[in-house]
Amino acid sequence: MKDAAHWLDALRDLDIATPIRIMNVCGGHERSISVAGLRTALPEKIELIPGPGCPVCICPEEDVYEAIQLALHEDITLVAFGDMLRVPVNAPKREPRSLEQAKAAGADIRPIASPTEAVRIANSDPARTVVFFAAGFETTTAPVAAMLSEGAPKNLLVLLSGRLTWPAVAMLLESEAPGFDALIAPGHVSTVMGPEEWQFVVDKHGLPAAIAGFRADTLLAAMYSVVEQLQSGRRALDNCYPEVVRPGGNTLARRQLDEVMQVYDANWRGVGVIPRSGYRLREKYAAHDSRRVFRSYADESRKRVGEMPPGCDCARVVLGKVYPNECRLYGLACTPRKPIGPCMVSDEGACRIWWSSGYRENRWEGRRQEKTNV
Amino acid sequence: MCLAVPMKISSIDGFLCVCEARGIKREVSLFMLQDDSLKVGDHVLVHVGYAIQKVSDQEAAESWQLFDEMLATENTA
Ligand code: SF4
Repeated sequence: MKDAAHWLDALRDLDIATPIRIMNVCGGHERSISVAGLRTALPEKIELIPGPGCPVCICPEEDVYEAIQLALHEDITLVAFGDMLRVPVNAPKREPRSLEQAKAAGADIRPIASPTEAVRIANSDPARTVVFFAAGFETTTAPVAAMLSEGAPKNLLVLLSGRLTWPAVAMLLESEAPGFDALIAPGHVSTVMGPEEWQFVVDKHGLPAAIAGFRADTLLAAMYSVVEQLQSGRRALDNCYPEVVRPGGNTLARRQLDEVMQVYDANWRGVGVIPRSGYRLREKYAAHDSRRVFRSYADESRKRVGEMPPGCDCARVVLGKVYPNECRLYGLACTPRKPIGPCMVSDEGACRIWWSSGYRENRWEGRRQEKTNV
Repeated sequence: MCLAVPMKISSIDGFLCVCEARGIKREVSLFMLQDDSLKVGDHVLVHVGYAIQKVSDQEAAESWQLFDEMLATENTA
């Protein structure tokens, strides 16, 4: 593969007349782009927009609330990926507003890094029910499916908040103003699900798309691909990460997903319901489904139920409508030390990535109107 | 959570294996790759404790270069 400098030169050699907006939909891509400083290295006319790439950010507020209430009211151990513990919900004052606060209030809540850890915790005390609050995109949800397919301990239940990435891109493309001209498709989602999932961007919407890995060379190769396509009129889904993205993806993993879960129209925090964008457990796994085993703690009377915290622009950041530093609170009231919204909590949240890579200026004053109007 | 990293298999026991990268050892499930005949010394891409795909030794080495750079940047940020 040619190196990053080669692709950067190739991109600089292109004569780009009108601005080109390239969206990525993966927190890992956004991190590599920010850390490698690609935004400043690229020609000015190329705009890189972080899109729906953070599963923690769009995990329904109601689901986080449910997890908190389960941990507080049922005799269980609740385990969740570490990022989920600090995600804030809109609970009334004096009530815990995150899993971390519920833990401080005495609930048995533990961060885990893998479904195998959930299995180990459940096995260590078979008399105690363990609920695994599992939020994530395909790459994370497939291992959860594998865990259940392999045969999880009886006392291990799953509170599933799995989401698919492509339906969010489809929703944007079907809207009046998608806000981007080309797509960099996620490398590890494609590793599991296969590159074919992204073909619709090209076939149905006529936009160039390329799958990228996480090093600067593959990201730049993908960017060159889509810009060259826009200029030449060629249209294709280019695979710039063939080392691990193979036709059909990981077919066994996809079979396991399909055996354990079914796709349904699911809610995204601050965004609303996106058709065919969520996973839920099939009937066959009802005994492992926390939503079927426990009563629901949903409380529709809560203020701002389902929404982002007051003042937080995460939903529009996630949809690529504004840049992180165009939020009024960015870097002022909201920093990784004292995050207000999930985009500053999660390692994959665009706000946190931008802050950690050194963007310190708040651009709320100078912000554009919705980027779609540019 | 979404970052998958290449690791080298150092021992295998059924669907479970121990993988190593940069001196760190982790228990990793091979359940999603059980149809690939994997052996000690192979590299796999590991995500949340599950191997999601086999990778070449070269790809593994090049990816680690990037992660080292990312970690270096974030530690100073
Ligand atoms: S800076 Fe904070 S408050 Fe603003 S969108 Fe990001 S997470 Fe939300």
